[in-house]
Amino acid sequence: MSIRVILGSVLIALTMMITAFVMVNEPARMADFDAGYKGRSIEAGATLFQTACIGCHGVQGQGIDNIAPALNAADLLDDTKGTPARLKEIGWSGSLPDYLRAAIAGGRPRASASFANYPQRMPTWSQEFGGPMRPDQVENLVDFVMNWKEGAIAAAAAVPTVSIDAVGTDIKVELPEGDAANGELLFGGKVNGKFPCSACHSLQAGQTLVGPSLAGIATTAATRKDGYSAEQYIHESVVQPNTYIVEGFVNPSIMPATFGAQMTKEELADIIAYLMTLK
Amino acid sequence: MALFKLHVPILDDIKAKGLKPALLAKVDDAVTRFTAGLSIGDIRGVLRGDPAPRPNPRVKPHADGFWFHMRPTYYHNLVTPLYPEFRLGWLSLYFMVFETLTGIFLMIFYTPSPLVAFENMLNILSNVPLGLFMRDLHKFGAEMMVAVVSLHMLRTVLTGNYKKPRQFTWFTGVVLLLVTLILSFSGYLLPWDQLSLWAVTIGASMVEAVPTPWPLNIFGEQVLGDPSFVGTWINNIARGGPQFNADGLLRWYLLHILALPLIGFVFIGVHYYKVVIHGHSLPPEAEKVGEDTAKRVPMDQRTYFMPDIITRELFYVALVTFVCVFAVTLGGFHASLEPHADPLVTPLHTTAPWYFLWVQGMLKLGDKVFWGLIAPGIIFSLLFVLGYIEVGPSRRYADRRIGLSVCMVALVALSVTTFMGTPWYAVSSSPDQEVVAALVPQTHPGLLRETPFEKLIVDDYNAADWQSAPNPEMKALLREYEDELEIARQKRDAITGKPIMPDAEGLMIVEDWQAGLKKITLRINWTKSDGTPGTFSQDVYLHKDSNYGE
Repeated sequence: MSIRVILGSVLIALTMMITAFVMVNEPARMADFDAGYKGRSIEAGATLFQTACIGCHGVQGQGIDNIAPALNAADLLDDTKGTPARLKEIGWSGSLPDYLRAAIAGGRPRASASFANYPQRMPTWSQEFGGPMRPDQVENLVDFVMNWKEGAIAAAAAVPTVSIDAVGTDIKVELPEGDAANGELLFGGKVNGKFPCSACHSLQAGQTLVGPSLAGIATTAATRKDGYSAEQYIHESVVQPNTYIVEGFVNPSIMPATFGAQMTKEELADIIAYLMTLK
Repeated sequence: MALFKLHVPILDDIKAKGLKPALLAKVDDAVTRFTAGLSIGDIRGVLRGDPAPRPNPRVKPHADGFWFHMRPTYYHNLVTPLYPEFRLGWLSLYFMVFETLTGIFLMIFYTPSPLVAFENMLNILSNVPLGLFMRDLHKFGAEMMVAVVSLHMLRTVLTGNYKKPRQFTWFTGVVLLLVTLILSFSGYLLPWDQLSLWAVTIGASMVEAVPTPWPLNIFGEQVLGDPSFVGTWINNIARGGPQFNADGLLRWYLLHILALPLIGFVFIGVHYYKVVIHGHSLPPEAEKVGEDTAKRVPMDQRTYFMPDIITRELFYVALVTFVCVFAVTLGGFHASLEPHADPLVTPLHTTAPWYFLWVQGMLKLGDKVFWGLIAPGIIFSLLFVLGYIEVGPSRRYADRRIGLSVCMVALVALSVTTFMGTPWYAVSSSPDQEVVAALVPQTHPGLLRETPFEKLIVDDYNAADWQSAPNPEMKALLREYEDELEIARQKRDAITGKPIMPDAEGLMIVEDWQAGLKKITLRINWTKSDGTPGTFSQDVYLHKDSNYGE
C-alpha cells in the first residue's frame, strides 16, 4: 500500500508542477496566440479581398480610376502625423480601423463629394446591413487593409500592369469559341482572382449578393431585350453594364464598367459559354 | 450573581490539561468529525499500513459519513486486484466529475450564440489564463471518458456480468454509454467553427431521415401533404430550423450542460446503487455455475475499503489526472479550432469524431435510413435487452463460446466500419482537388502552412523539379506535391476506365503580397480526355506570425 501512497503523491506533485509551469508561461502563450490569430485573420482577409474587393479596388488595393480609390495609400493609412488625410477630410472622429470597419460594413450610400472621380457607390458588406459577410469576415478585411500600412507610407505599391488585347466595349466584335469549364473558373475568381463575378452574383435563384442572381441566366437573358440573343445580352451586360438595369437594382449600375478593358476576347467568350450552361 | 455565564469548554480543557494537550485534543476532535469517524491516530495507522484496531474505526465513515455511505466497507479479495475490473467503472465516474469541473470553467467564458460563440473561444484561448489548458483538458477528458466507458462495457460483456441478477445494472450502464456518447458529440457544436457545424450537420441530417410511420404517413400525405414531416420536424428541433441557427446552438448547449449531465448523474446514482446492492461479482471461475456469492464474503477473504481500496482509487485518480495534464502540455494534445462556421463552405473530408466513425462507415454502405438509423437502433436495442435475452446461467468463458464469438465478430465489424468511416475509404472528389487538399487541407493546417514562412522563397516552381528546390523544407513540400500528383495521374474514371489526368503537372508560385504576407498559388494543368486543357488553381495566403507549426 505504501508504494501506492508514495507513487500517488509523486504523481500529484508532478501534476502540480506541470500546471504551475503552464501558469508561469501563460502571458507569453497568450501573446503568441494573439499574434498568430492576427496573422491568420490577415490571411483570411487576403482571401476575402481577392473574391470581393479587387474588382473595384484593384488586385493590390491600388485603386481603379473612375471606380474606387486606392486602399494601399498613404493618405488613408499614414497616421504618423495624427489623423490620416482622408479621415480628416470627412471629419471622422474614430480610429483608422473603426473607419475601415464602418466603410466595409456599411458601404458608401452615396458617392463621396470630395472624390468626384469616384461616382460609384460601395455596396454594404456586413450581414448587419444586408450584405453577405459575417462580422468576423469584416474584421478580417480590416486587418488585411491595415497590414498595408508599412509599405503604403512610403508610396503606394507598384503593381505590374499586364498589357492584354482587351475585348473593348463594342458588342459587335466577333468572339472565339468559348470554353465553359474555364468560364466557370473565371466566374468563381479562381484564375488569379481576375474577375470574381461570384462575389456579387449568386447562382441560387432569388439570392441577391450585390447584383442580380444569375440562376437560369441562359434562359432569361434571351427575353431581356428585343432582338438580342442570350449571348448578345450577356456580352453587352458585361462590357456595358449600364445599358440594361434589371428591375429592382440601382441605376446607374454599381457593376464596374471596366471589364471591356480588362478582359480578352477569349475570357469573355469563356464566361459567356459558362453562363449559357445555366439554364 | 451573574445573569450570564459564558461557557467556553476549551478554556476549561486548557485549565485542566494544559495548553498543548488541550489544543491537540481539539484538533483531533475536529478531524474525527470531518472524516466522520477517523481520528489523526487512525489516519496515521492507515497511512503506515498498521492492522486495524478492534473495534475497527475505519468502517465508521461508511455508516456516519455521506460520501462513503454507498461504498461497501469491505470487498472480496478476488475482486480487488487490477485484473477483474481494471478500475474502469471508477474511472468512468472520475471522468464525469473531471468533465463537470473543467466544463464549469469553460462555461464562465462562453455564451451560446452564433454571433459571439467563436469569439468567446478566441477569448478563452487568447485572454483567459489557463483557458487553453482547461479547454484541452475538457476535450481530452471527453475522449478518455468515451474510451473508458466503452472498455468498461466491453469488460462486462467478456466476463458475463450483465447476467442475472445484474440485468438492470447493465441496462442503466447502456443508458450511461449513450449519455457519454451524446455528451461528447454535443460538445462538438459549441465552438461554432467549421468542424462543429459540419460534423454535427452529418449527425443532424441522419435524424432528418427519420421516416414518418405509416399511419401518420397516410394522414401526412392527405392532410399535411408532406410524407417526411416527422423527419423535418425532428430536424427543425435539432437545428432550430432548416439550417443550424441561434436556437439550434442554444438547444445543443442546454443539452450538453444541463439535460445530459442531469440524466447522467441520476443514472450514475442508480447504477452505483445497484452495484452496491448486488456486490461486485466474483471472477466467473470462482463460483459455481448459476450461483451468485458476491455478497457472501468470508472473514478471511475480506479486503477493507479503508485503507486498501481507497488508496488504490486515489492512486488511479492521481495517475489519470497526471496522464491528462501531461497529454495536453508536454504530450502536445490540443483541441483544434477551425475557421468560423460557414454554412456556405463545406470542407473536404469532414469526419465524425472517432467514436462515431463506425456510423459514418455504415452510411457509406447505402440507404441513409437503414444504415444511419435502423441499424444503430437495432444495435443499441440489443444492448439494452442483452441481460434479459441472454439467460444462460454460466458466466464461464468455456460455456459462452457462441456469445464470445459474436462479441469478437462485432468488434471486428466495428473496426472495419470505423475504417470505412475515415476519408481513406471510398471518398473521392476530383483528383485535382484531392492533390491540393493534401497540401492545404481544409480541416487542419497541413504541410504547406506548417512550412516556416522564411523558407518559402519567392519564385515559380514545378513539382516535378522538386530536387532543385532552394532548401530542404521546400524540397519536402514539392516532393509531397509530386507524390500526390503521381497518385492523381493513376486515377481512372469510374465509368470509362480511362485515366482522368494522366499528364497532370503541378506548379507552385510564391509571391510577396504584403508586408509579412506571401501568396502561394497551387496550379495543376492537365489535358482532359477530349483534348482540351484542364486547370485547377488555388491561392493560399501565409502570414509570418500565423505559426501553424506550433
